Amino acid sequence: MDINFSGVTKVFEPDITALYDINLNIEQGEFVYVVGQTGSGKSTLLRLITREILPSMGVVTVGGNNLRKMRRADVPYYRRDVGLVAQDFKLIPSLTVYENIAFVMEAMSVPKKIVAERTKDVINQVGLWRRRAMRPAQLSGGEQQRVAIARALANSPSLFIADEPTGNLDFHTAAEVMKILFAINAAGVTVVMSTHNQSIVNSSRQRVIELENGALIRDEKGGSYSG
Amino acid sequence: MTTLKYILRDMWRLLVHHWVLGLLTLITAGVMLWILGITTLFSLNLENLLSRLESELIVQAYLVKDNTLDIDAIAQKIQSLDYVYAMKIYSPSDSLAKLQEKMGSQSRALEMLGDNPIPYNFEIHVHRAEDVEPLVEELNAMPEVDDVVYAGMVVRRISALSRISSRVALIMFVLSVIITALVVYNTIHISLYSRREEIGIMYLVGATRAYIATPFVLEGTLLSLLGAVIAAAGIMVAYFPGITLIQSNLPFLNSSLLTDRNVILRFCALLAGFGATLGWVCSYLVVARFINSITRPE
Repeated sequence: MDINFSGVTKVFEPDITALYDINLNIEQGEFVYVVGQTGSGKSTLLRLITREILPSMGVVTVGGNNLRKMRRADVPYYRRDVGLVAQDFKLIPSLTVYENIAFVMEAMSVPKKIVAERTKDVINQVGLWRRRAMRPAQLSGGEQQRVAIARALANSPSLFIADEPTGNLDFHTAAEVMKILFAINAAGVTVVMSTHNQSIVNSSRQRVIELENGALIRDEKGGSYSG
Repeated sequence: MTTLKYILRDMWRLLVHHWVLGLLTLITAGVMLWILGITTLFSLNLENLLSRLESELIVQAYLVKDNTLDIDAIAQKIQSLDYVYAMKIYSPSDSLAKLQEKMGSQSRALEMLGDNPIPYNFEIHVHRAEDVEPLVEELNAMPEVDDVVYAGMVVRRISALSRISSRVALIMFVLSVIITALVVYNTIHISLYSRREEIGIMYLVGATRAYIATPFVLEGTLLSLLGAVIAAAGIMVAYFPGITLIQSNLPFLNSSLLTDRNVILRFCALLAGFGATLGWVCSYLVVARFINSITRPE
């Protein structure tokens, strides 16, 4: 799924400009790091892609869909093709690991048998099968992050959005999460990941989009990040 | 079918995971619907009592003393008046016999009158107390009618009481419905608010608004229905002992009270249906509004 930002500005009321005149194009199958300091606009950029927010000016197009013009009834169908891993995991606290992951398929009316198979498959991919009956509060931050990744993988999305997926993790767990993300990307899925972790960006040399105070200051293929 | 199973399962999850709020909704709906039911039954009994009193109101019309009068034609004329419900004709001799019967041992006094002074007269029944005054006006306007006798003050009082009781019953009913609706609406709103994070996440991972909303609406409807069933059971338990108590202390009210078990059962079934409908409408409104606001992009 390709992404296009054309002259995108986002102003939060009353007058906080989170993004200013962003123009960029991300091709299908790319792996992109969105880097920058805290408050630079990384999360805002990702939230525009998931259509949690709409641009104040400009156009965001994903997979040929102008997100502003998208009908509200179509938003869930669009999101089923976008795997999202949020900084705060966004897991449903009352559901177990298994139920959290199964939910995204159940919401699409996938038959129970297929849901069971697919859920088992993605939980195994993130190595949490033994924790499947636990609730998010009973898991560590790293485990919750892996559950969020498994959930995002469940629908086999064409686009994977990860907002600081390693932000709360130790080096070893972060490396494991990155391994999963690279595997997803290797399968042809577009991955857009925000981070301010220099070692992660510098160890894999992917495309780097750098933001500063809401403005795009660098877009470099095989780039690095010095913070 | 698969979706329905998931939705029913999710509704069950909501009930189990948030059982305290569910119980709160159930109890509140039950209590409010019980009050609504009892209020309605009280109003119905009051209406019954007043309507019995009204049906017992009699207007007596005395004709002028004239042997040439065509009594049948006058009877037809009176019968055709709008407010007449039932009518009985008394000839002078019938009236005298009736009067003698009423006076008992003192009826000899009537012999002193010589000729029977009572003219032909009509005993007229009306539907409602408020019909009496216009009927009296019409009767007085008839040249064949010499005098009209009725309990003017009683009629006015019953008429006023009937009007007030109808209004009070309507106001009480509307107020009870509004309060019940508000309570159900608010408890479901609290329940939704406590789950707003979950709802936001569900929408974010691709659940449609209908898929998210349906378990909540079903939950609200089910809780209201259960509340109404509890209220109906409470009415059955409280109403009949209450009626028995009234009957034993105020026996003259017996024929005015609703005592038919089948009628009360039907009323309770109606209350349960009403509770479920009210729960469904309130849940639908609050869920639609809430999900609409939470899923609106900034």
